[in-house]
Amino acid sequence: MTQFLKLLYIGLGEGSIYAMLGLGLVVIYRATGLLNFAQGEMAMASTFFVSTFHSWGLPIALALLAGVVTGFGFGALVHQVVVRPLGNPRDKPLAMLIVTLGLYLGLDAGVRLIWGSDGRILPELFGTGSVSILGAPVTWQRLGALLVLAIEVVVFWLLFKKTKIGLAMRAVASNAESSELVGIPISRVLMVGWGLSAALGAVAGTFTAPGQGLDANLMVLPLVYAFAAITLGGFDSLVGAVVGGLLIGVVKDVVPNYLHFFGGLELGPVFLLILLILLVRPQGLFGRRSATRV
Amino acid sequence: MNAAQLRIGRLASWAVTGIVLVVLPFLLSPYWTGRVTSWLPLVAAVVGLNLLTGYNGQISVGHVALYGVGAYTTVILISDHQWPFLAAVAGSAAVCFVVGLLIGLPALRIKGLHLALVTLALAVLFPSFMLRFSWISDGRVTSPRLVYGRLQQRPVQFLSPSWWSALAPERWKYFFFLGVVAVAFVVTRNLIDSRIGRSMVAIRDNEVAAAVSGVEVARVKVLTFGVSAALAGVGGSLLALDAGQVSPTNFLLPISLSFLVMMVIGGAGSVAGPLVGVAVYNIANDRLDKVLEHHATWKPSIPLIFGASLVLLMVVAPGGLVGLTRRIGARLAARNAGSSIPVPDAPSNVHNSQEDP
Repeated sequence: MTQFLKLLYIGLGEGSIYAMLGLGLVVIYRATGLLNFAQGEMAMASTFFVSTFHSWGLPIALALLAGVVTGFGFGALVHQVVVRPLGNPRDKPLAMLIVTLGLYLGLDAGVRLIWGSDGRILPELFGTGSVSILGAPVTWQRLGALLVLAIEVVVFWLLFKKTKIGLAMRAVASNAESSELVGIPISRVLMVGWGLSAALGAVAGTFTAPGQGLDANLMVLPLVYAFAAITLGGFDSLVGAVVGGLLIGVVKDVVPNYLHFFGGLELGPVFLLILLILLVRPQGLFGRRSATRV
Repeated sequence: MNAAQLRIGRLASWAVTGIVLVVLPFLLSPYWTGRVTSWLPLVAAVVGLNLLTGYNGQISVGHVALYGVGAYTTVILISDHQWPFLAAVAGSAAVCFVVGLLIGLPALRIKGLHLALVTLALAVLFPSFMLRFSWISDGRVTSPRLVYGRLQQRPVQFLSPSWWSALAPERWKYFFFLGVVAVAFVVTRNLIDSRIGRSMVAIRDNEVAAAVSGVEVARVKVLTFGVSAALAGVGGSLLALDAGQVSPTNFLLPISLSFLVMMVIGGAGSVAGPLVGVAVYNIANDRLDKVLEHHATWKPSIPLIFGASLVLLMVVAPGGLVGLTRRIGARLAARNAGSSIPVPDAPSNVHNSQEDP
């Protein structure tokens, strides 16, 4: 039981990172119908901003804050320079996807060029201590990840329900053409979406880096898990991203302990889970089934 | 230029390409013949990806895994079961076809680009899968935890036949590979010209309209992915024959992205695209590698250039180099004909894919 709880806590802690990345993916998907394959690399680049601020002497919390702001600007810039020239993303999803893959390749290489390929160390935001809950240990860092995820959810809820820009984002998500006709500057709204997505990435990366060291490969695996999370939760559902992220984290860490077949192959059960969801409930747990007109 | 002239022009350019490819190993040094030979497996894989993306509007980020399945199948068939080379290539294609169907079935029933997502997971999973089940990859060692690079057993030796010594070994290998790739080319071209091929294109251009017109969308998409996977398997099989040994590190995600770059550079949705793309990509890559030989810290600028060119091509020339040449050719032809009718931009195959759900 203790073993199970311990793995459960680890899974929830890692799952909250996937949920953060998943939130960023969903924000962009809802606005543009695009699966952003460069989300992980944007998060990784933003984490290097955090690391740079930290190396300048800022304490890690302030460095994270500065990194979030810089990341927002970076994401917005990426949208303006790379994504926007292609035109309306809904017209050509395939070309758009290829552009995000180019971005994946380019950002990975760019980071290696600027910061080198060696791993860096980023300290834990919540220290290295741990507490015992129900007899199993859990580090403050993992509890902190859950807390930060909760804060993000509240902030997003407020943003979408209470602010004008949030309203505009919802309008674009629901019907881009009509929102343009009523005077919403679509491209600026999308820019904010990309900015938010990269800013979320800075947070997710700052929680990922301490465990494994910060290098250009930081987000390769988390991105796959985040995709699994939104497949499970539904591409267009923020709640789905959170629930899906936590569930995927738990599956990934708990299942291999009991099914030894998956030992050293944590992605295995998750992969099978994705295939299963796509077979039985392709819209995900919280997603909406969509109809198309010709 | 009328239609007949165009057809003659096209036939002539293929004939020239064919002659160049046949004469090439006699002009190049053995070293360069070997280099060019090592590009041929890539051509097969990119032809497969092009069939999927350029003609069917789906995208796979996991062709490297299918490439790997093909390579390991060949290694096992030849070193454990002593299959002849050609049979091993065909066997690898068959195995990859089945794997493709299994992966494609859940991912392709749904509208949208879910295949990209599933294949990304597949690409990331593949190397760790081979390490976990190392009895597949090395045949002898059973310990599941081995360090990367140590799983390099079961070498495969590609020998030229003893009954024919007219060709130097490297040339024999080149022609063997060229023959396999040529068959892959012809099969793909004929498939594109068939009823199924037209269904593929119809799905790419408008999935709903295709379904309404009686195309069995899911079946065609899954079949396309199966054939595309089989072609990637042929590529992997040739890779194993060429390299002699494979290890899981030969099949990492960036290779998949490089397939994509090659396809886009050459031109998605054109038959000649993969050939052009593979040649241009690899020549450029070799050149840049040479230039940066003594500047290790600048090495990452190579993928940076390719990533940037992927983005740039999507904006300025979604038809790749082949599309660009065609566009320029059409302009020139229009000018020669003295026509004042403006030539519309060549339709780009990547851009008119289906609407999103």
